Amino acid sequence: MRTIRFWIVSLVLLGLALSACVAPMPAAEAPGAPAPAAGPKTLTIAAGTDIENMNVHRVTSSPSFSVLEHIYQTLFYMNPEGELEPLLAESLEPGEEEHTFILKLRQGVTFSDGTPFNAEAVKMNLEYVQNPDNGSAFAFLISRIQEIEVVDDYTVKLILDSDFAPLAAHLSHGALAMVAPSALEQGNDFLANNAIGTGPYMLERWDRAESVTLVRNPNYWGEPPAIDRLIFKVVQEDGARLVEVEAGTVDVAVRVPPAEAERIDANPNVDVITTPGLRTIYIFFNVTREPFDDVRVRQAINYAVDAEAIVNQLFKGAARVSDAPFAPPIFGYKPNPPYARDLEKARALLAEAGVPEGTSLVLYHPTGRYVQDALVADAVRAQLREVGLEVELRTLEWPQYVPFVRAPAGENQVQFAMLGWSTPTMDADYALYALFHSSEHPPGFNGAFYSNPEVDRLLDEARTTIDPDVRRELYAQAIDIIWEEAPWLFLYSEVQLTAIRTNVEGFIVHPNERLIATYADKK
Amino acid sequence: MTQYILRRFLWAMPVLLGASFLVFWSIRWVPGDPAIAIAGELATPELVEKVRAELGLDQPLPIQYAIYLGRMLRGDMGTSVRSGLPVFDEIRIRLPRTLQLTFFSLLFAALIGIPIGVLSATRANTWIDALSMIFALLGVSMPIFWLGLMLIVFFALTLPSWLGLNQPILPPTGTGTWQHFVMPTIALAANSMAIQARMTRASMLEVLRSDYIRTARAKGVPEFSVVYNHGLRNALIPIVTVIGLQFGTLLGGAVLTETVFAWPGIGRLLVDSIGYRDYPMIQGTVLVITVGFVLVNILVDVLYAYLDPRIRYT
Repeated sequence: MRTIRFWIVSLVLLGLALSACVAPMPAAEAPGAPAPAAGPKTLTIAAGTDIENMNVHRVTSSPSFSVLEHIYQTLFYMNPEGELEPLLAESLEPGEEEHTFILKLRQGVTFSDGTPFNAEAVKMNLEYVQNPDNGSAFAFLISRIQEIEVVDDYTVKLILDSDFAPLAAHLSHGALAMVAPSALEQGNDFLANNAIGTGPYMLERWDRAESVTLVRNPNYWGEPPAIDRLIFKVVQEDGARLVEVEAGTVDVAVRVPPAEAERIDANPNVDVITTPGLRTIYIFFNVTREPFDDVRVRQAINYAVDAEAIVNQLFKGAARVSDAPFAPPIFGYKPNPPYARDLEKARALLAEAGVPEGTSLVLYHPTGRYVQDALVADAVRAQLREVGLEVELRTLEWPQYVPFVRAPAGENQVQFAMLGWSTPTMDADYALYALFHSSEHPPGFNGAFYSNPEVDRLLDEARTTIDPDVRRELYAQAIDIIWEEAPWLFLYSEVQLTAIRTNVEGFIVHPNERLIATYADKK
Repeated sequence: MTQYILRRFLWAMPVLLGASFLVFWSIRWVPGDPAIAIAGELATPELVEKVRAELGLDQPLPIQYAIYLGRMLRGDMGTSVRSGLPVFDEIRIRLPRTLQLTFFSLLFAALIGIPIGVLSATRANTWIDALSMIFALLGVSMPIFWLGLMLIVFFALTLPSWLGLNQPILPPTGTGTWQHFVMPTIALAANSMAIQARMTRASMLEVLRSDYIRTARAKGVPEFSVVYNHGLRNALIPIVTVIGLQFGTLLGGAVLTETVFAWPGIGRLLVDSIGYRDYPMIQGTVLVITVGFVLVNILVDVLYAYLDPRIRYT
């Protein structure tokens, strides 16, 4: 009997000890109770991952930017249609001196702690990002800015090393959002846990790995948002996210698996919305290696692989067959006729190039980095067998894969390999320069070792031309050449599927994977 | 006894040192570079080098290990490569969550599993026994992941729609109220419950055949007392051992449950960190799990002496 008593007492004590060592829980809401119609409005978003930290200059993932861009604002805003709008800036014009730009700022904006937003704040933020000690992964976006001069309270002069047309597009990237100087002065530990910006929302609390809660910023300079409280809840598991949105315990669920989209959309309380993505998935050929040094082989493979079947079968249509090296929402997009499947043509091209039946090739691909990446690689393997090419698939874990495909000329072992490229600035410069310019051979991202002087010239010229119409024309010419020379097997660009309760209006899923609740309301 | 416990704690030191050594070297054998994880896949090779130097990864491995041990002794677990936040803080937030879930599911498992095992043993080879063991087999073989999702669907969608409610009976994921505990506890307990039931049955069958049980019955001791006071108490030693081991395993092994129910525990932290090659976080988490394992083992050994007075530690 003594034993049993001992057990009971120790269990109870242990239970009490455990309960005591837990931080106080947030005020309990009834499980899954929808926000009451009257009173404060709460919008809950089931995100797939937690944010890395609160320092907008240091985070790198879309889920982090989705949260932080409600608190922090950029100088320019790239709208979902790919048009730049002024946000904290009013204008960016070329200056009188060579390679300079004059940035005019919006007046009357304050940070949520009451300190003013002004030219000094812009200078501090851009210099913070440029300082390598701060480890900002997106510092390269403004690496061309040599000097930042405060002209007056609301004017900044940017001095570049050359003219750089996509500057305003680069300044629209979330990583270059404006943080209050009063916060920057408190150092990186403070910035990792706190957020003081000019945006429509402020940080209320961050329960790590659980949720981030934002509340309306009472001092917001713009139109106040309709939703009082925003909760980004971390739900990693796809199935659980879907149940939550179906049950109404969350209002929005990200990343609906393509196979589930139809079923969820059939629910009268939930809509699945489709948004074009900015990430293009492709397989690049190492054009310095046999047999891919022959353009006919590269074209043959493009004809042999049925990208449309991949999109329809593996993605149930939730992807877009590539008709350019990048996706349509991006500035400079120009469609080309897709390489429709034509096995006869493919076989003829291979024969012409002297590639015998049964030739073995090695295709490298990541697993789990992109949606169904390994399955796509396998589909490519199966389709190439039909034209007599034996493809062996090899995969590496992502942290190992990136350096492998970026190994410089002497050490590079890639024949052809799968990769995805996202263009968050929504400008063709970002989408093409790093991938096709001959100065970007590995360790750059031109893993194909593609090199064409005419393409180089067009990309260089478009980079320094300010007139958007002329730029568009230059990019169109570059795209035509790239499409014809096929340094890639052009596959598809991703599409985002998001489940949203039907009583939510005005919620924006941006092509750059940001979720924007600022203009949303709940009926 | 006190001396024995002290000695066990001293012995735990080399175990912890060994664990730190193993985890330190094994994660560095796994290919992949945390410097790339932190600098981003777009980073230039120069930036990657710079980050590597900042993380101290450019030093020879033995020196890195010595630095790591030195920091550990001063109680500094380092800073997460991924979040830039102190490792200790992350673990401090997550560990209690894992401990709660582990504790409640083992308690739940024991409260159901052990009586089922006893029932099975006392009614050996009857339909009750067969039914209990089918139940146990199901528990062992059911994937936690699947069970978790089924529970969520049932309590959040199916049952409310049967009852004509427009909100879930239980919150599907997250933490915060006692209702949040129900589903993860059941999902995590299913397996342990089944193992405990089978273990109890086997152990009880053996004990119930002993001479002293026959003697007790012959003396006219009531059957309930024979089974629970004389039988179960003596059968408990292997069961306690199993529960102890399960506690240790669940500390780091509740990953699936934590993922399905969006439960911010230490198992998920460990798995996510491995994906990012977040060395300091992996090292810190594994160390904490090891400490937990060692402590539970010591506790189990101490319990033996209470359960069976014949066991003496000197």
